[in-house]
Amino acid sequence: MIPIEYFLALGAILFIIGAYGVLTKRNAIVVLMSIELMLNAANINFVAFSSFYGDVRGQIFALFSIAVAAAEVAVGLAILLALSKTRDTINLDEISLLRW
Amino acid sequence: MLENFPILSLLILFPLVGAILVFLTGRNGKAAKFIALAFSAAPLILSGVLLASFQMSFGEYQFQENHTWIESFGISYSLGVDGISIPMAFLTALLCFLAILFSWDVEHRTKEYMGLMLVLEVGVMGVFTSLDYFLFYVFWEVVLIPMYFLIAIWGGPRRAYASIKFFIYTHVASLAMLISIMALYFEAKPVLGYASFSMIDIATVSGGFGHLFQVAAFGALFFAFGVKMPIVPFHTWLPDAHVEAPTAGSVLLAGLLLKMGSYGIIRVALPTLPEGAQVLMPLMLAIAIVSIIYGAVICLAQRDLKKMVAFSSISHMGIVLLGIATASQLGIAAAVFQMFAHGLITAVLFMMCGVVQHKAGTREIPLLGGLASKMPYAATFMTIGFLASLGLPGMVGFVAEFSVFIATFDAYTWLLLLPIASVAITAGYYLWALQRTMFGPLTEKIDTSHLHDVSWYEAVPLAILSFLMILFGMLPGLIMDYIIPSAGIISGILGVG
Amino acid sequence: MQPIEFAWLIPVFPLVAAIAIGLFGKKLKEGGGYVAVVAAIASLAITAAVVVQVLDGSFDSADGVMDGVFEQSQMWLTLTDSYSFEVGIYIDQLTALMLVVVSLVSTLVIVYSLAYMGGEGERKRRYYTEISLFVGVMLGLVLANNYLELFIFWELVGLCSYLLIGFWYHKPSAASAAKKAFIVTRVGDIMFMIGLIILFTTFKTLNFRDLFEIEASGTDLSLLTIGTIMIFGGAIGKSAQFPLHDWLPDAMEGPTTVSALIHAATMVKAGVYLVARSFPLFVQTPETLLVVAIIGGVTAFMAATMALNNPNIKRVLAYSTISQLGYMMLALGAGGYLFFHTQHAEGYTSSMFHLMNHAFFKALLFLCAGSVIHAVHTEDMRLMGGLNRKMKITSFTMLIGALSISGIPPFSGFWSKDEVLATVWEAGDLSWVFVLLYFLGIATAFMTAFYMFRLWFMTFTGKPSVASDHAHESPRVMTYPLILLAILAAGSFLVLFVGGGFGGQVFFEEPHSLAPAEVLTATFAEPITYLSIIVAICGVGLAYAVYYRKSISSDVFVSTKASRTMYDVLIKRYGFAAAYDAFAEKVVYGFSKLVDLFDIYVIDGIVNGFAFIFARSGNIIRRLQTGQVQLYAAIVIAGISIVFILLYLVGGLR
Repeated sequence: MIPIEYFLALGAILFIIGAYGVLTKRNAIVVLMSIELMLNAANINFVAFSSFYGDVRGQIFALFSIAVAAAEVAVGLAILLALSKTRDTINLDEISLLRW
Repeated sequence: MLENFPILSLLILFPLVGAILVFLTGRNGKAAKFIALAFSAAPLILSGVLLASFQMSFGEYQFQENHTWIESFGISYSLGVDGISIPMAFLTALLCFLAILFSWDVEHRTKEYMGLMLVLEVGVMGVFTSLDYFLFYVFWEVVLIPMYFLIAIWGGPRRAYASIKFFIYTHVASLAMLISIMALYFEAKPVLGYASFSMIDIATVSGGFGHLFQVAAFGALFFAFGVKMPIVPFHTWLPDAHVEAPTAGSVLLAGLLLKMGSYGIIRVALPTLPEGAQVLMPLMLAIAIVSIIYGAVICLAQRDLKKMVAFSSISHMGIVLLGIATASQLGIAAAVFQMFAHGLITAVLFMMCGVVQHKAGTREIPLLGGLASKMPYAATFMTIGFLASLGLPGMVGFVAEFSVFIATFDAYTWLLLLPIASVAITAGYYLWALQRTMFGPLTEKIDTSHLHDVSWYEAVPLAILSFLMILFGMLPGLIMDYIIPSAGIISGILGVG
Repeated sequence: MQPIEFAWLIPVFPLVAAIAIGLFGKKLKEGGGYVAVVAAIASLAITAAVVVQVLDGSFDSADGVMDGVFEQSQMWLTLTDSYSFEVGIYIDQLTALMLVVVSLVSTLVIVYSLAYMGGEGERKRRYYTEISLFVGVMLGLVLANNYLELFIFWELVGLCSYLLIGFWYHKPSAASAAKKAFIVTRVGDIMFMIGLIILFTTFKTLNFRDLFEIEASGTDLSLLTIGTIMIFGGAIGKSAQFPLHDWLPDAMEGPTTVSALIHAATMVKAGVYLVARSFPLFVQTPETLLVVAIIGGVTAFMAATMALNNPNIKRVLAYSTISQLGYMMLALGAGGYLFFHTQHAEGYTSSMFHLMNHAFFKALLFLCAGSVIHAVHTEDMRLMGGLNRKMKITSFTMLIGALSISGIPPFSGFWSKDEVLATVWEAGDLSWVFVLLYFLGIATAFMTAFYMFRLWFMTFTGKPSVASDHAHESPRVMTYPLILLAILAAGSFLVLFVGGGFGGQVFFEEPHSLAPAEVLTATFAEPITYLSIIVAICGVGLAYAVYYRKSISSDVFVSTKASRTMYDVLIKRYGFAAAYDAFAEKVVYGFSKLVDLFDIYVIDGIVNGFAFIFARSGNIIRRLQTGQVQLYAAIVIAGISIVFILLYLVGGLR
């Protein structure tokens, strides 16, 4: 049996990679992908704890969040599409509408 | 018969219903005017009934209504009046009615104007009748909003500045009040054993609060109410607000809103925190004297008639504070009487400023002159108003000032010389203003060919108020008899006979 | 029922008339003038009935106390258990005297007004409203049974004075004069108010009867001294005594009838009346009495000097009024001082006697002046002259008035002035101050005779001037009151010889009745009587020499440098008018401007400064809101990390 720490470490590494991507990448698609990574890091933790405690609720949550992530990507991509249509760019540095 | 009749609720409800109805009327302003007049006349009649059925010799709260509102926080809908609030309630009903009548010629967004006036009446009436801190605070804030809009929409050229200044200034003060109300609530909770916002409940235990707490809470309340009165140096919102406000707005602002401040001190701050009051009494006295003299002196330098009247309010509210600062039965009673008197008098003064503005097109004193020959009735009303305000005996202001001065000499002897000297200055600026606006040769600096005398809707309120000023000056007992017993209860709490 | 029980009606008639004229005057004949006359006559009738009853003492006082005082009162305002005020009437001999003077003179003046004010058109309504109001409140003042009520009426007569001085408000000078009169007397009134407050807080009552029974001692006495001095401050303002005298000459801007009634015969007497009414209090405090006497003497002298060279006929009379009021104050002060030390109260009687006589002859003089002004349309005596042939009645009655005020026997002014001076002389035994005041009084008597005859000669004799060409005698409505007043001015001394004499009717403490023969011996056995007669004759003689015979040129008064300076100083009223103006304009208004700037730049500056600081700091901080999503995210992550690290460090995670 693989100790739970390994899963948690994998989750943490994925999360950090994702966060790094969100904070540094200029391309909005890449940022969206990085967010997926962070979500999946959380999913790994859910599944790991589920098997650790022998409780299925963790798996249910993981499935639930995958569904939400799918919806979120759909909305996110739609926003990006609208953005690229109206402003001709998906570079995040150039999109700062909510500024002072 | 009237024991279980919810007369106080009706006093608040009538203008509220009226306001809703006014907002529902169509574009035609005429319906709005009549509805507003009718629904402000009803509270006036009710307050007359209230005055008639109030038991004067008995100073405690009467006509109480108590309904639980939010039980878990100890908030209740409780109303009641004593000898201090009842003249104020009458004044509120009277001035709102007359102000609405006086605004008969408002053509710009009439519906909203009339509605806001009624909402204002709801708030002020609520402040003067509520016996629950939470309710009191709610009504207190309700008053701010219509007044803000009255200045911001129907105001003069600098209305944006003035309305924001008014709102923020008084709102900061309200926050100080909210903090001290909360502090009182939480401090009283363990002593009482239950949560309660009731003024009566909290007052039963608050006398035993710690010394430092009392001083701090009283200080915060004094600041909160003092800004509203206003006291020097927190007064600068007042001249700006008055100069920009429409006439009826000024009438209610000076006639009623300022009274809320002094009423708050008498109703809330003094009896709840007697020890704090004792400690801060010298401060109140000093501020009162400074306000009286400062307000009077600064009036002499004003060029705008309305600004002069606004500053005179500071001086006269200083006399109210002086009465309060004696902490004696006579002083407090005289202060309340001065509040009532000042309400009647400033109403006339601001109405006259409005008349001059409407007819002559300007309020700049140096541009005016000799108007009496073109508008004799206006000149008569102005003379009556000015004379009442400078404390001419036989009119209502004199009784108030004289009683305050007696109380001051009783409490502080020769300190009286400072405030009493202001009486000469007051006479000076009023008569000088009268001479420069109404007397002398007719001015040639403005076009006077279309100048005509007061209209009926201006003359009626002015005549009613002038009559009342003389009536209550000749027979001050009509109002004083209500006030005295209740003032005795408050001075009794303060421990000064 | 006895007539005295209806005394409260005396002020009611004119007050009702004032309201009626004010409301319906436009529809009434003569702007309501006849209503005013009828009301005044009604008051006069009741007054007569009341006075008769007071004089023979045949009334039951309402409260059963038989001390020659009739009092009716009821509660007006209850402040606290120990503080309450009454409203009521209080009638003794002093009240009766004042009632006669006020209602008689006002009736005559209002009748006279029917012609004098006939050409005022629409304004007549205002005139009769205000003058009826004045008569009502003046009678109320006289009848009041406590100081507060007296003070209320006191201020209301001041109001009427203000309104009537400013009757021709379109004239800037009239508007200014009205304002000056109100504010200057207001300064005195503030002192009066302080006095009332001191008395009230010390003795818990303002009722005359209760206060007069007080015999103060210790702290109370020192408070009583301050209190009485303060009350006298009110009298200084109202009776135009030094240093608050300067409003009265300006008050001549009002119609002449107003000057005659308010600013000569009645309202300005209120100050003297107040001191006389408070006599039981004043006689307990010799310091106050000394102040009263000194102020009175100085005023009498100073005002007389200013009357010497003034060219305006009404102003001469105004200064003369101030001067004569000074005499009355002097007599009260000296008489009270005498009473304090020797229990002789003749000074009080002499002052009241002079008050009555002065009311008659000064009203007469003013109304004559009014008649002249009516005829020549100017107040400048240099433009008059030679009027005695055209205006025989006016000139003759005015001569009687002038003889009376100058103190030429047997006219009534002589008797009272002589008594006043005799009182001061007698008080001279007690203090050297009174000797000085006596000589001031004698000098004043000389000047009075001089300036009155200067006035008469300049107006009625000499060459007719241009202005006098079209002059003609006034109508009978005006001359009949003049004749009546002239009879009174000449013959009011006769009261000395009927009954117990004046001192047997109007007195303080004990009546000092004198038989006619005693009066004569008491007067003419004293050498100082002859001194006052001689100076009066000298004054008349000098005026005769300068202004009638012209044997001495009037240029002597301006020819040398010293006399020229004197002349200018007097014309400039010793600089008082300028000093008042400078004080108001420079000191008070300047200070006010300063405070206004302080308010705008300092206090409001701080308020706006706060607003500015918040607006500015918001302006800086909002730049953190870059709109960069990733920056926000980084801040969120950094924030969460810090929270967790802190939690870890404090052990919250364990």
